[in-house]
Amino acid sequence: MTAPHSVLGTAGTGSPAASASTGLLDVRDLTLDLADGTRLLHGITLRVAAGETVGLVGESGSGKSLTARTVLGLLPARAVTTGDVELDGTGVLTASAQELRRLRRRTAAMIFQDPRAGINPMRTIGDHLTEALRLAEGWSADAARARAVELLEAVRLPRPEDHLRQYPHEFSGGMLQRVMIAGALTTSPKLLVCDEPTTALDVTTQAEIIGVLAEQRASRGMGMLFITHDLNLAASLCDRVYVMSGGHVVEQGQARVVLRDPKAEYTRRLVAATPMLAGVAPGALASAADGGHISGVIVRHAGQQHPFTGASSSISETVRAVGTDAGGSAVSAPPMLEAAGVSKTYHRRGKEPVRAVVAASVAVPRGGAVGVVGESGSGKSTLARMIVGLESADSGDIRIDGRERTAVPRSRRERLAHARSVQMVFQDPYLSLDPRITAGRAIEDALRLHGAGGGGRRRGAADARARVLDLLDQVGLGEKHAAARPRTLSGGQRQRVAIARALAVEPDVLVMDEATSALDVSVQAQVLDLVDSIRRERGLTVLFISHDLAVVRRVCDETVVMRRGEIVERGRTAGLLADPQHEYTRLLIDSVPKPGWDAEAAAVELEAADLDAGGADRSADADDVVADDADDAESAAVEAASAAASGQAR
Amino acid sequence: MTPTPTLAVTVMRAPRRPRAGLTFAIALGVLAAMTLAAIFAPFLAPYNPDAVDFAAVNAGPSSAHWLGTDGLGRDTLSRLIYGARTALLGPLLVVVASTVLGILLGLLAGWRGGWVDAALGRVFDVLFAFPSLLIAIMAVALFGKGLAAPVIAMSIAYAPFVARLTRSLIAAERSRPYVAAYRVQGFGGAWIALRRVLPNVTPIVGAQSTLNFGYVLAELAALSFLGLGVQPPTADWGAMINESQAGLLGGHFLPAIVPAVAVVVVVVAVNIIGEELSDRIGGGSRS
Repeated sequence: MTAPHSVLGTAGTGSPAASASTGLLDVRDLTLDLADGTRLLHGITLRVAAGETVGLVGESGSGKSLTARTVLGLLPARAVTTGDVELDGTGVLTASAQELRRLRRRTAAMIFQDPRAGINPMRTIGDHLTEALRLAEGWSADAARARAVELLEAVRLPRPEDHLRQYPHEFSGGMLQRVMIAGALTTSPKLLVCDEPTTALDVTTQAEIIGVLAEQRASRGMGMLFITHDLNLAASLCDRVYVMSGGHVVEQGQARVVLRDPKAEYTRRLVAATPMLAGVAPGALASAADGGHISGVIVRHAGQQHPFTGASSSISETVRAVGTDAGGSAVSAPPMLEAAGVSKTYHRRGKEPVRAVVAASVAVPRGGAVGVVGESGSGKSTLARMIVGLESADSGDIRIDGRERTAVPRSRRERLAHARSVQMVFQDPYLSLDPRITAGRAIEDALRLHGAGGGGRRRGAADARARVLDLLDQVGLGEKHAAARPRTLSGGQRQRVAIARALAVEPDVLVMDEATSALDVSVQAQVLDLVDSIRRERGLTVLFISHDLAVVRRVCDETVVMRRGEIVERGRTAGLLADPQHEYTRLLIDSVPKPGWDAEAAAVELEAADLDAGGADRSADADDVVADDADDAESAAVEAASAAASGQAR
Repeated sequence: MTPTPTLAVTVMRAPRRPRAGLTFAIALGVLAAMTLAAIFAPFLAPYNPDAVDFAAVNAGPSSAHWLGTDGLGRDTLSRLIYGARTALLGPLLVVVASTVLGILLGLLAGWRGGWVDAALGRVFDVLFAFPSLLIAIMAVALFGKGLAAPVIAMSIAYAPFVARLTRSLIAAERSRPYVAAYRVQGFGGAWIALRRVLPNVTPIVGAQSTLNFGYVLAELAALSFLGLGVQPPTADWGAMINESQAGLLGGHFLPAIVPAVAVVVVVVAVNIIGEELSDRIGGGSRS
């Protein structure tokens, strides 16, 4: 394997005539078989012209990364390929090790998804950036160093000179991805292959990274092969896109045409499943109305941003005052979930304490759905953990259906009562299911615990079985899944099991902590549909935590925006997205990638708005970067602290 | 938002099946043969292991005595077969006892954390400071010769190795979301630890523990060689080497070499099995 930063340079000796006629990258009928005969790529054909940005879009397992790696000759061990991959006139598949090395040094470079995995943690940033120049190109240390500083400036890192002496662990994910980009650019490659370079990053950081990439592309005239699962991102960045599914290219063409007016069935489904910030929100309002539940305005109006400080009664009053529009009896009903002035501070030995949640207040009406939106380290997960009783709040008050649920439950009776009040669906279904326990058993465990204890009657084995199948049926799974271990289930199926397991307890409130962010868009759409139908049928109250505004828009009537532990804005989701009051909300909304043609239209409006607002735009100058990266580092600290705390919680 | 391995990454890593199969099968065969020999010793051994035949002292291999005889004219093959009983039984007892003890202590330290973890950690440190052979010798000095005292002493000496591994696995497991999921469902800590988390780590710990078998076997053999373990006239590989020292000077190597080779072969076989098991379990259970 090549080091990820290895910079691939020009095939200087390649015949210019050949490269002119075929474009920069020319992949023809590429197939790839593993040693055991499994065919992973079925006749891929794609082209990237010099200076062109081409998107490779698809869901996990579609073979998009595999295709991109082939471009650099990174093949699975003992794989068999047919077809042609021509990079700047040189055939990659038939290239000798020496030719391949030259291609990787000068012609093409690659950026990977997780920057932390692609950098040696024991070496400084300066070593990382200069070693390719010194060792492969024979530059002197001083010249290489000067070049590195130049590159770090180019990717808008604030203090290039200092950064050269720093180690990767001192950098946030966003800063490190900038370093990786700088590393990829050291020898001015003609083609930059980006493999989901922003997937692991927050949306505001993503916007900055994309900005840097677009800028470098423009100033260097590089070709770019951009792999992503995010249609909106592809649309905002790419000239042309290829849509891949199951190792086939199912559709290709101008980004605008393909994504606006998809021809292939698969692309249509993909586009339909992608949650958007604009347009009609299918889920939230419809479900609430259909079910005849209270779709009431719970929290204060968006204009009043100051959080409630302690007084839980004020929330109730607000609810009563604002009322609901569904049925008179509901008007006086207290909220199902009510958190008032909740705070949590992590104290770390020898370091500054981290204030993960600061006086946060949230109320969810019976049968309602409220979203909590924020970036990593905003405290949204800590809030969720306090609500479900995994962590204790330092101050404040959490009530569910009027019952006190602030403390971490200790006795068996408290534990069971708390569990029946609130259940949680976790982010990563790969980790939140016990690897050894079958799906049916996991649900049965929960049924038995609650059936035998508080329910007062012991469930018979047959009765429990029937309930398990019933629950699996409700989440769209069948009897055959009951005996399956998590390993054999797909991500979507696992998350369904997790939901069924939570429903088995018949909780008043369901907290979903980033419950769909680890899933592909089409699977995410299915899971969100499932949540809708469960809400309709059961009148379940949902607190939906997510970093993704578009997803929240689809599910939630109300939304709360968190930043660094504080709630900065709240209101009806539609209103909040259309007319954000707080600058951070605006930043979040602006950072969501939008298709280029939408952005053009929006830009005009924005300019007008900026004039009104006194030009308070967010041009990414160096100061901004410093501030944002400081935020990043702080966020990382909060994450680390809460991870440590969850480790201690028993 | 966490990066998940894509198809490309899994595929790049996947196709690697070293030819460990054959070695593993041979190692299993050796251990199985030794075990069967130990169990069915009375039927397999051609002679009584203690039968003295002064007509054939230090005899070389012959059709009557395949591996020759020792200085007292006892059949080496028969003694080897009977010796397998103590050679395998001792380490087996030590491995089982140290694993059970170590897992319990490790679970306690890893799950409870805090001062319990700190206190147990220091106790382990102290135990690590003594070579296990030394502890065994002290036990023999206190409680007398034989198999029981060394086995108990070695069980205690080896438990910290198991405990330390268990502790780190449990501590890692404890912070996994599935444990939090059990808590949210209302399960108690003890139930989660014993019924769900412990079974998830025991295969890994168990596989590591089998590696201890070889070390213990060698150390118990050393103890008998020093005359502190199994006592004559009971056939034991360590004791056999000890008893044949006089013969060595007279040029009769076989009675010493045969049990020595047996020790080496079993230790190597057990290590191959243990490593292969840890590889399979360690690689397979994490999805």
